[in-house]
Amino acid sequence: MGEIAVMPGRTRAALGPMRLRLALGAFVVVQLLVACGPAASGSPRLVASGSAAPPTPLTVGLGYIPSVQFAQFYLAQQAGYYRDGGLQVTFQNKIDPDLVTLVGQGTIDVGISDGTSVIPAVSQGIPVRYVATIYAQFPNVVYAKQASGIKTAGDLRGRKLGTPGKYGSSWIMLQALLSSAGLRPSDLDIELYPDFGQGAALAQGAVDAATGFINNEPVQLELSGTRSTVLRVDQAVPLPGNGLIAGTSAISSKATQLRAFIAATLRAMQEIEADPRKGLDAAIAAVPTLGQDRRTQLAILKATIGTWSSDYTAAHGAGAVDQAAWAKTVTFMASLSDSPISGTPPGVPQLIDTSLLPS
Amino acid sequence: MTRRVLRDLLPVVAVATGFVVAWKLLVVIGGYPTFILPPPEVVASRLVAAWRDGTIEPHVATTLTEILLGFLIGSGLALVTGYALARSRLAERLLSPYLVAAQATPILALAPLIALWFGTGLASKVIICSLIVFFPIAVATMVGVRSVDRQLLEVGRVYRATPLQVLTRLEIPGALPLIFGGIRVGATLAVIGAIIGEWAGGESGLGVLINLARGSLFDTPLLFATLLTIAALGVALYWLILLVEHQLVGERG
Repeated sequence: MGEIAVMPGRTRAALGPMRLRLALGAFVVVQLLVACGPAASGSPRLVASGSAAPPTPLTVGLGYIPSVQFAQFYLAQQAGYYRDGGLQVTFQNKIDPDLVTLVGQGTIDVGISDGTSVIPAVSQGIPVRYVATIYAQFPNVVYAKQASGIKTAGDLRGRKLGTPGKYGSSWIMLQALLSSAGLRPSDLDIELYPDFGQGAALAQGAVDAATGFINNEPVQLELSGTRSTVLRVDQAVPLPGNGLIAGTSAISSKATQLRAFIAATLRAMQEIEADPRKGLDAAIAAVPTLGQDRRTQLAILKATIGTWSSDYTAAHGAGAVDQAAWAKTVTFMASLSDSPISGTPPGVPQLIDTSLLPS
Repeated sequence: MTRRVLRDLLPVVAVATGFVVAWKLLVVIGGYPTFILPPPEVVASRLVAAWRDGTIEPHVATTLTEILLGFLIGSGLALVTGYALARSRLAERLLSPYLVAAQATPILALAPLIALWFGTGLASKVIICSLIVFFPIAVATMVGVRSVDRQLLEVGRVYRATPLQVLTRLEIPGALPLIFGGIRVGATLAVIGAIIGEWAGGESGLGVLINLARGSLFDTPLLFATLLTIAALGVALYWLILLVEHQLVGERG
């Protein structure tokens, strides 16, 4: 056995028994801490290449709850589009904050996340990039019963509005929507529903309006027979909707695989746009409980499909990232009194990477 | 006196120093970026900055209010219930199963319901704190009162002590060491109760700040700074209880 590495220049014999025990103890503690600690970012991984190589494992992070909203991923998996791209895809469901951090760390290779989460995350030094647009229209909305008389953002003045909390994409959307009408959150009576009970509160008449997702709460309200009004933010501030994010190290080391993943996902999206039932069947195959209410799930999927395209993606192709919209969003978020951006706002090149999109 | 304080404090300081050194070594050797594991000096700097710019202070005030109210109400009810359980077999038979069932139900699952029923204001947090504090203090009180020396109680009867005299002169002093054991546990649980209550809803409090740091700001150093503040609150409460216990119970504690 050689000399003790932590104390160069001294032999074991030169150390007193106590000092030897201390040195060994410190060495063991450090080794244990390193072994038990979280995985370091950018850990090297094997990348398969060539058609004969086994498929490359790719961990994909989706939203917290498996849902019909992820039909394109389920379809691409079941139809073998990922396999054909040389990928062995595994899905993991995570909440957005965890997903962004895990993608930055490298535990998850690629995931779907709010565009508005990427901006504060990058400002905090988390090495992620937004690589493809999935929701070309911002899905977070304010909605109300038609009977409430609310037709525009200006009509929200003095009304009671339910929202989960004063943070996250819904809060940013609400501030953007209100500012477009010259309003501030203090002009409304805001009720907080941290467990997303604002939909039930609206249905029961406890609030006049609520934040929600265009492909969820308003759809359910309509299906229950109540006409709804939806206020969208896109015209006021074109906030970036949910899209695919990847870590910078994965973009460098797995560019080919990520390109194949994005292409396969966009292909599945196009097929579902053409035939929503195909997406519904894929979602039910992946999450059988969704089959208990096909009508509702189909309505949610159709509303989801409606957000996948915009004038920008129509002109520049599916998945295209609107850089001007990102620049406007950064400026808007930096201007907020409770801005989640830390320090100098990041530039658009620090936030997005379009090199993985199909040419 | 000074020498005794030094003797008591030295091991605490030594362990804290060792912890910080190990933490720093872990960051350096593991090469972890700040968003995964910030080094101690970055957390310390963020903690100071967050106190100076007023980020943490209002949240501490909110959480402390919830803790103190929840602890006072929960422990008050627990003392009365614990005494009833100790002195009445019927009360014990009737209440024990429900108390155990209530304790076994995860407060994390109950918190959203309590927020739904009582709103996301102070009331729901105080209720959650009271619930989480209740069980250890009630059980400690029951065990403490039952452990009072029977011979002492007999002597009390011989001298025709009134029930109030038995309670105040014999039972409470005799049970206090054990009751304080429950109160110590309850005080630390009250901190957890307040944080859980804030996670279930609210605009202010250290639990809300954790959610903000993690879910909206992606500010890991602020998350650590908040956790350190919560830990410091728990330790301060624990020491405060120890101080009171030392005054009331002395060396028996």
